Amino acid sequence: MGDAGHGPVSSRGRLFWVSAIAGWALIAWGVRGALHHHVDTRPAELARFFFGGVVLHDLVLVPLVLVAGVVLGRTVRGPWKAPVQAALIISGCAALFAWPEVRDYARVLHNPSSLPHNYTAGLLVVVAVVWAGTAVVALVRR
Amino acid sequence: MQVVDRVVRPVTTDPDGPLHQGRFQSPLRDERLAAWLGAPLGVLFATCFVTGLFSHVQQHPLAWLPVPARPAGLYRVTQGVHVASGIACLPLLLAKLWVVWPRLLSYPPVRRVGDVVERAGVLALVGGGVFMVFSGIANIAQWYPWHFSFTATHYWIAWVTIGALVAHVGAKWAITRGTFRRGRTSLDAADPVLGTAAEPPHDGLSRRGFLTTVAAASGVLTLATVGQTLPLPGLRRLAVLAPRDPAVGPQGRPVNRSAANAGVIRAATSPSWRLTVDGRVPHQLTLSLADVHALPAHQAVIPIACVEGWSYSAPWRGVRVRDLLAMAGAAGDAAVRVESLEHNSIYSVSFVDHFQAHDADTLLATHLDGQVLDLDHGYPLRLIAPDRPGVNQTKWVTRVTVL
Repeated sequence: MGDAGHGPVSSRGRLFWVSAIAGWALIAWGVRGALHHHVDTRPAELARFFFGGVVLHDLVLVPLVLVAGVVLGRTVRGPWKAPVQAALIISGCAALFAWPEVRDYARVLHNPSSLPHNYTAGLLVVVAVVWAGTAVVALVRR
Repeated sequence: MQVVDRVVRPVTTDPDGPLHQGRFQSPLRDERLAAWLGAPLGVLFATCFVTGLFSHVQQHPLAWLPVPARPAGLYRVTQGVHVASGIACLPLLLAKLWVVWPRLLSYPPVRRVGDVVERAGVLALVGGGVFMVFSGIANIAQWYPWHFSFTATHYWIAWVTIGALVAHVGAKWAITRGTFRRGRTSLDAADPVLGTAAEPPHDGLSRRGFLTTVAAASGVLTLATVGQTLPLPGLRRLAVLAPRDPAVGPQGRPVNRSAANAGVIRAATSPSWRLTVDGRVPHQLTLSLADVHALPAHQAVIPIACVEGWSYSAPWRGVRVRDLLAMAGAAGDAAVRVESLEHNSIYSVSFVDHFQAHDADTLLATHLDGQVLDLDHGYPLRLIAPDRPGVNQTKWVTRVTVL
């Protein structure tokens, strides 16, 4: 793939600079607000979460996905690789979303109606349906 | 800086180096694929931003922008869309970032002023996007692994994220427009104008297969959660990952905060409970529960819509706020402040603007679904008004102050 922003269609014309100025004005407004309301936003902790999220994503999550891709490439080949990749991507997203529910991080705040389901069972059902559905699609397409 | 240069340059620029961009080449890492993922993600972010602004204005009223009481279900729709869009973002965001991730390794990181502006904007967009999706999903699961206020940080970082998105759209406009002009079917062909390569034969997901998979992941998350707000038959039973079920809770209806959590059980059940109507009125009122029950009752079907994205519509019965205001002799355009028995919560007081206060369906409710309110639903009296966030439908009401 090409370098960021150096391809023939990414030349930085007027649109780039106008939107950069508008965008950075909005960013500055957000940063100013977060700093101004520091009692609520706790800027130091917020900054740890903001940049920590980038670091966790770029240097932990993506490398893990890359490793998973390498392992998958060595274990599953041929026509089944694509459906396995698809099922892994979908069930991985479901697991990430459901993780706080499965772990019941909210237990201290529980009331009779919050998190009413068994989320471990729910996640397993979703994952099972995804793998079954992917297998059916793969078989139909062959 | 020199140390960084000495370490980073060889590992990123040597084709045999472990972090050379070329080592992470994949037929899926195509700029057009990034555009196909980025455009819907941008639309979802923008949707979240606009609906989030509406929710913010509801919770932090602006004197010059009173929120109308009609349509009664407006907030239910906007907040349902807000949370559903945020959930649908998760697979799209991760897929988009995965496609462009090797750009992190481009060296030197910046060559021109434009590079600095663009990369700093990308940092703001990645940080903002990840923070908004993560904090939103944690919040609906009532998980707070931080000490800052969720609403304040989610709001201010939304401005950072939308600003970074505006800058990014400007930077990527040409490639995105070029990509969409050629359509999805040309994704596997080379495009000399855009400078992108043809998809080589390979096993595993094709470019189009990858797009379909990501769309399916967003669809699965939506199907597994949207039944908490969308009242279509069957959806509620599919919503196995939704943090709420609109039919589970006291009286078969969910709540966000129980009477025990709020610490109001004794005060709410005490015979000495009174409703006071005061402020700018000629006749201050102090009513016992029997007095309230003796007033003309009105029934209205009003949705209750939580900021966390669940909602239900139900018949409520109680006293019209405007009738109470008339009894106290308040002006016809008066706004009011409603106070709860609950203390030490930012939601123990809410503001009702003049549109909402004088709407025929704005009640201090005593009954839900024909039954006396459960303590968790705000017994003895709760505010229920059209087009308001659930957190502003104040429970355990004890005072109405005319402003």
